[in-house]
Amino acid sequence: MEKNAEVVRSTSAKSIWINPIPARRRKNNWNIEYTVLTQIKTNVMKFTANFVAMHKAWPSPKVLLVMKLTTLLIIVTLLHASAKSYSQITLNELNTPLKMVLKSIKKQSGYALIYDSNVLLNAKVSVSLNNVSVNEALETCLKDQPVTYRLVQNNIVLQAKEIADPDKIKAQQAEINIKGTVVDAKGQPIPGTTVSLQGTPRGTITDNDGRFEMKNVSDAGTLVISSIGYTTQTVLINEQTTLHIVLTDNSKELSQVIVVGYGSQKQSDITGSIASVPKERLQNLPVTNVFQSIEGTVPGLTVTSTNASSPGSVASVNIRGLHSITASNSPLIVLDGIIYNGSYNDINTNDVESIEVLKDASATAIYGTRGSNGVILVTTKKGKTGKPSVQYNGYAGPEYMAHEVDPMNGAEYVAKNLAYDAQAGITPAPVPNQYEDANYKSGHETDWIKAISQQGYIENHSLNVSGGTPDVKYYVSGDYAKEKGILQGYQYHKFNIRSNLDAKITSWLSAGTNLFFNNNNYDGGKTNLFMATTMSPYGQEYNAQGGYQIYPMFPEELYTSPLTGLYQPTVNHTTSWNGNAYTEIKPAFIPGFKYRLNVGYTSSPGMTGDYTGRNTGDLIGHASITNTQTTNLLIENIADYTRSFGKSSLHITGLYSSEKDNTFSDALKANTFINDVTSFYDIGSAQYQQTTSSFTQTTLVSQMARINYSYDSKYLLTATARRDGFSGFSASNKYGVFPSVAVGWNIANESFMKNVSEVSQLKLRLSYGVSGNEGVSPYQTLTTLASTQYINGSSTVIGLIPSAIGNSNLKWESTKGLNLGLDFSILKDRISGTIDAYDTKTYNLLLARKIPYITGYTTILENIGKTANQGIEFSITGREIKSENFSWETNVNFSANQNKLVQLYGDNKDDITNNLFLGKPLDGIYDYKKIGVWQTGDNFSVDPSAKPGDLKFADLNGDGKINASDKTYLGTQLPKYTAGMTNTFRYKGFSLSVFLQTVQGVTKFNSFYNEAGQANRINLPAAYGYWTPVNKSNLYPSLSYTNSRAYGYPSDASFTRIKDVTLSYNFSKGILERLKIPNLQVYASGRNLATFTKWKGWDPETDESYAIAGGNQSSSFYPLVASVVLGINVTLQ
Amino acid sequence: MKNTFSFIIIVFISLLSFNSCKKSYLDEQVKSIYTPSSLTDEVSFEAAIAGLQEIVRNQYEGDQGIMALLQTGTDVARNGQTTTAMAPYETYTLLNSQDVAALTFWKWGYQVINASNVIIQAAQSGTTSLTSVQATGYVAEAKFYRAYAYNFLSTLFGGVPIVTQPVTTPKVNYTRAPVDSVINLQISDLTYSAANLPDANHVVEEGRPNSSAAAQLLAVTYLRANQPALAEAQLTKIISNGVYKLVTGRYGINATSPGDPFSDMFIYGNMRRSQGNTEAIWVIEEAPNVPGGVSPTDQHRRVWVPFYVNVPGMLVADSLGGRGIGRIRPTNWWTYNLYSSTGNDMRNSRYNIQRKYYYNDPSSPKYGQLVVVTGATDTIQNIYAHTTKWNSYNSFDPFGTLTYKDRIYMRLGETYLLLAEAQFLQGNTTGAAADINILRTRANAPLVQPADITMDFILDERARELIGEEDRRVTLMRTGTLVERVQKYNPTSAGSIKTSNMLLPIPQSEIDVNNEAVLTQNPGY
Repeated sequence: MEKNAEVVRSTSAKSIWINPIPARRRKNNWNIEYTVLTQIKTNVMKFTANFVAMHKAWPSPKVLLVMKLTTLLIIVTLLHASAKSYSQITLNELNTPLKMVLKSIKKQSGYALIYDSNVLLNAKVSVSLNNVSVNEALETCLKDQPVTYRLVQNNIVLQAKEIADPDKIKAQQAEINIKGTVVDAKGQPIPGTTVSLQGTPRGTITDNDGRFEMKNVSDAGTLVISSIGYTTQTVLINEQTTLHIVLTDNSKELSQVIVVGYGSQKQSDITGSIASVPKERLQNLPVTNVFQSIEGTVPGLTVTSTNASSPGSVASVNIRGLHSITASNSPLIVLDGIIYNGSYNDINTNDVESIEVLKDASATAIYGTRGSNGVILVTTKKGKTGKPSVQYNGYAGPEYMAHEVDPMNGAEYVAKNLAYDAQAGITPAPVPNQYEDANYKSGHETDWIKAISQQGYIENHSLNVSGGTPDVKYYVSGDYAKEKGILQGYQYHKFNIRSNLDAKITSWLSAGTNLFFNNNNYDGGKTNLFMATTMSPYGQEYNAQGGYQIYPMFPEELYTSPLTGLYQPTVNHTTSWNGNAYTEIKPAFIPGFKYRLNVGYTSSPGMTGDYTGRNTGDLIGHASITNTQTTNLLIENIADYTRSFGKSSLHITGLYSSEKDNTFSDALKANTFINDVTSFYDIGSAQYQQTTSSFTQTTLVSQMARINYSYDSKYLLTATARRDGFSGFSASNKYGVFPSVAVGWNIANESFMKNVSEVSQLKLRLSYGVSGNEGVSPYQTLTTLASTQYINGSSTVIGLIPSAIGNSNLKWESTKGLNLGLDFSILKDRISGTIDAYDTKTYNLLLARKIPYITGYTTILENIGKTANQGIEFSITGREIKSENFSWETNVNFSANQNKLVQLYGDNKDDITNNLFLGKPLDGIYDYKKIGVWQTGDNFSVDPSAKPGDLKFADLNGDGKINASDKTYLGTQLPKYTAGMTNTFRYKGFSLSVFLQTVQGVTKFNSFYNEAGQANRINLPAAYGYWTPVNKSNLYPSLSYTNSRAYGYPSDASFTRIKDVTLSYNFSKGILERLKIPNLQVYASGRNLATFTKWKGWDPETDESYAIAGGNQSSSFYPLVASVVLGINVTLQ
Repeated sequence: MKNTFSFIIIVFISLLSFNSCKKSYLDEQVKSIYTPSSLTDEVSFEAAIAGLQEIVRNQYEGDQGIMALLQTGTDVARNGQTTTAMAPYETYTLLNSQDVAALTFWKWGYQVINASNVIIQAAQSGTTSLTSVQATGYVAEAKFYRAYAYNFLSTLFGGVPIVTQPVTTPKVNYTRAPVDSVINLQISDLTYSAANLPDANHVVEEGRPNSSAAAQLLAVTYLRANQPALAEAQLTKIISNGVYKLVTGRYGINATSPGDPFSDMFIYGNMRRSQGNTEAIWVIEEAPNVPGGVSPTDQHRRVWVPFYVNVPGMLVADSLGGRGIGRIRPTNWWTYNLYSSTGNDMRNSRYNIQRKYYYNDPSSPKYGQLVVVTGATDTIQNIYAHTTKWNSYNSFDPFGTLTYKDRIYMRLGETYLLLAEAQFLQGNTTGAAADINILRTRANAPLVQPADITMDFILDERARELIGEEDRRVTLMRTGTLVERVQKYNPTSAGSIKTSNMLLPIPQSEIDVNNEAVLTQNPGY
């Protein structure tokens, strides 16, 4: 931000085209290039040499004049602007380089400083001023210097004093008629732009086509062109009669104002650990969920998903490791400033302007009892002043199974069966079941995975219209996404509408709304991949009537057709209605104060209905219908006060809010239907019916105060405190207070850094604070009775049974966190980044503590136990090549988190049953240590019941036998480190972005190896290299191994993935002008293109809940999907 | 003017938004669940009793093998198709404090005890609208169930912690009470129940306990307390009260089909007192396809009926008992020896024990032939002689997910056997022989002489009469005969069983979680 405000133009520039985007060639072949101030060598000797050289090389005075006047790039931020008018300058300098003195003026005034590289600022000056105006200060400093100054809006514009030129003087007196057009960076006209002649009251406004005309103006005059949402420009007329002016929208600068929760802050003033998601991650990716797109891109943010690729699946997110054992680990989502309780899926990715992730306690403490898992701030796009702009973004493309685990084919299957029979000592049977006989004899095989698969397909269409006047701005969008799964029956489509409206009603009153509606649809009966993997290749796919055979391997009835699910009529959709409204008052009589009222209301009704009938093996018919409705009402009162005095600036935010959350659901279940015709649509026609309903409510009241103080833009302090009252806690513990403090030091702004030109940004941050977690269900303080059903004779009677024991002392869990961070930008911004290290301790865990069954209960929620997370994370961006036509940029992010369970029930013992181990990370893998497979002739004394082909485990405690005490902690499912790397190449209109993701140090149970004693009943993966007396595998057991110790085959689940590759092309201006459209981009994007891993099975990231038999089979397991789409992004006006 | 107006609106909305200042805003309002304070009147107590009944009916829920292992590893049965839970009950060296079944039983017992305590406390709180007669009735009923649970626990584990009040805090400092104290609590509870519960003709609902059920459980408790005379008094009272009588003739829904009086008793539709079963003292009810009609995964049929569908050429048939998976394989002693001396014992008729199977798949070349199996596992889990007491078949559920069948927990037949035991323990072998002969007369079995009566003989007779009904393991643990009888009749387990197996291990997780006091482990674990 600061650095951009000091813009120097190189002497080679010749154009009046003003565009801060680096190096773009225009049709007249003129080119400008901006570099930052730090490029100038500050060494006096060097400078002098340059100065001399420049003088020699200078072009003609006329060109010089053009150059000088083209420098006026003005960058304004709201925060900047608010501080200006009251500036009083105090200077006390002795023999200080002029540049330093001017910098000091800049800081004290809040004005931006703009000058050419030919402006000489290294002369040393001595000044002593006290509380003078900006004008006076500049007058004094620049006296006797070869520099003149002007104040243009809130900018100090410096120019070298002109050398008198007779021709020039003459020309200045001429008056000409001028006309021109004002367009934005994409070439779209900007209507309503103010064009005024500097130093005169004359001015005009551009028409709808961005055109303007002025008569009889001095050919040496200066035009000031300003429009809201764009950086103001001044342009020298310089005898031109036709001007083409390009305004840059200031969103780039705005993006550096970071949303921090209950307000925003300049990035340079931020003291907490806050990461912004790179914008390019939010576009052009074939994802239906906004968090799928940011997976792997923000250090410390982990996105995990069960059935990651299942159409419309919702990811789960955690920030900086797991804190809680029982309570929720999900971060808080804040959408457009309002706490959002809905589904992630309901946020349309195409509407998202920015995502910020608040990670440390200082940043999250403002969210009190809901902050300890981190906070994700999602901001949607807003309208901008100007002519309506219509944008369409659409993509479509096929989906594939990223990796298939092939089952055994017929020959392999038969070999497996015979091997099993031989090992088990039973009569050899090539196929064990009656229904396999015919196909086996005829040699007809079925590829069951192929049978349930289909060509997947994803498409998305997004259309938005935005625009507005200075007083009213709008953004309206509609989005339609459709995904046809790679397995039959899987589909997802959604429809989303959004309307964002901002109105400035009076000078002191503004108001607006964000409304959106979303509909998710997952309808349809589904195939079952797990069953497909178990089917014999000789099983019968179809029955005599041509329908699916329910039991393809009859009389085997446990493993049923993977296809009959398609016969189940299923509806599953959720809808959400979200309305946020705000009003903001800025009373003129209290400068710097504003009050904002936010009201947010969400209502999310959802419905599921399904039916199983005769054609799926259900001989009576079962139907069920569930309706759920959650509503949430949030009211926030925010007071905000900003004030600057001297070098200090103060920003105070206060909050009073309340929230009420209701969930109501009802369910109908019925069975015994006359036939399958009505499915669940006439549930009353069933003989037996059951109805249930439930209601829960939580309320929250909060007060928060935050003070941001900065001194001289060098020393920053943020202090916050929040007090939350939550209905779910006990009467005496409803309220909790969460303080935090953070300091920042902008080292780059220190005087001793002035000479270090290699460093443009260097900021050290330190924060410490406490945040909380209330993430438990309501009513946990009460002992409850649940209703149940019993019978008297054959009639149902209602029963009550003790269901849960309440804890009357319940309160929130707390996380104390320390964060040390460094933000830097070096080598002319070629390398910039952020490094954070943190140490958090979570205590008073809301833990479902096990209590003896003697109490009649299993667990009680209690504040007990501690966890700790320590970690380091960084994100570094390198701009390796940055030239006019080609650029290469690399972003690397890395995070390593060490999670540890510090304390549990106070008895210093592990809780093995619940997989909790003191001193170890959560989500542990606790199992036997496999050391191979028993071979014929081994000494079996340590495991006398074992036989050759059984798994051989280590006798870890050395007691000469293998039992439960030989189990050990083998690793954790939490990665040791994760990293992501994005390389972006741009060549002319082409852009190629390649994103690699890696997750390392993960151990997971692997069901690939675990046929769970069912090897004689089901098919196995072709790659399953089972032990036989001939194939003495040390990896796989024999087929007749029964796995009586329930070994889970823990395996290394680390992986590296080419997560996505996007190639896009922006059509050149020439073509676009001929097509009369402002912007056109086409792109191709591929996702999950390749994975490198040692893992055997479907995918290391996919949840391991997919497990063969043993009662753990997951009927909804869905493989990882690779997709390739083609897309188009077009703007019309 | 317009501005002023807007300003007023804003201020008004802001004030509204502070409505959360109300103190009650954070109070929790429970709308869809109940709390113990909901137990205030007859209707709510009726519901609490129904809930308690449901917990009691779930006694065998958990691992599929839970109910099987109460039979296997004893004198009457060995493991057929084994589950993880069952393995240690056949190979006793595997039985340790991590045992799944022990934990399941323990947990169930204390759930019953807690639910009973909630009812007893609420009924005695004095804040209900119950009449004192009603309050006494509910307390008597709850105490019956509480004693039933304590009896199960103290038979399996010995002394266990005594809890007689609902728990309200995270208590982790329990200690085991001496077994005598548990038995004394049972006697006190059951005496109260026997005195205050109505008889079978006057109960509100057939499935609810009556005074005879309490008396019979009290008698069992007296036997454990080594007070056979007191036991005899209770049992005699049941036999002589005129409410019950042995089933001696054909009755019920199957009366005209082939069968005998004994088999009639175990047909669904005939099992309750109202359905003609004059022996029924305490029957837990189940009903197919009625909400609340069945325990969630009732495995009775699956564990008792062999896995005959596993044999090629065999299809599921209602006449064979529906689909079984063969977890309980009777010992050879039960199969071949137990009835060998009892002639045409009705209890061994082909209606009561299925001994032969014929290929029933018309498409099989062996259709109609006798199934002769040879493979090792085949006679262990696929084809074996089995009691037909748990045969059941529902046309809508040929796979046999659930068993919908009433459970006869107490009947007059057992009363005679308990009476015989009480009399034998007092040296009255004549009385004991007479009791047993009442059952033998009904069964057309040869009568016995007083000289024949020994504890072993009584246990043999229980096996003949009550196979499939009694939890055999519990009976043998109660009578202290488990180890010797396993060594005598169950060669699979004879080598591994030890004296210490007469009690189950206290679940290790309970010992661990109870970290502020010591729950002593039983010897040998």
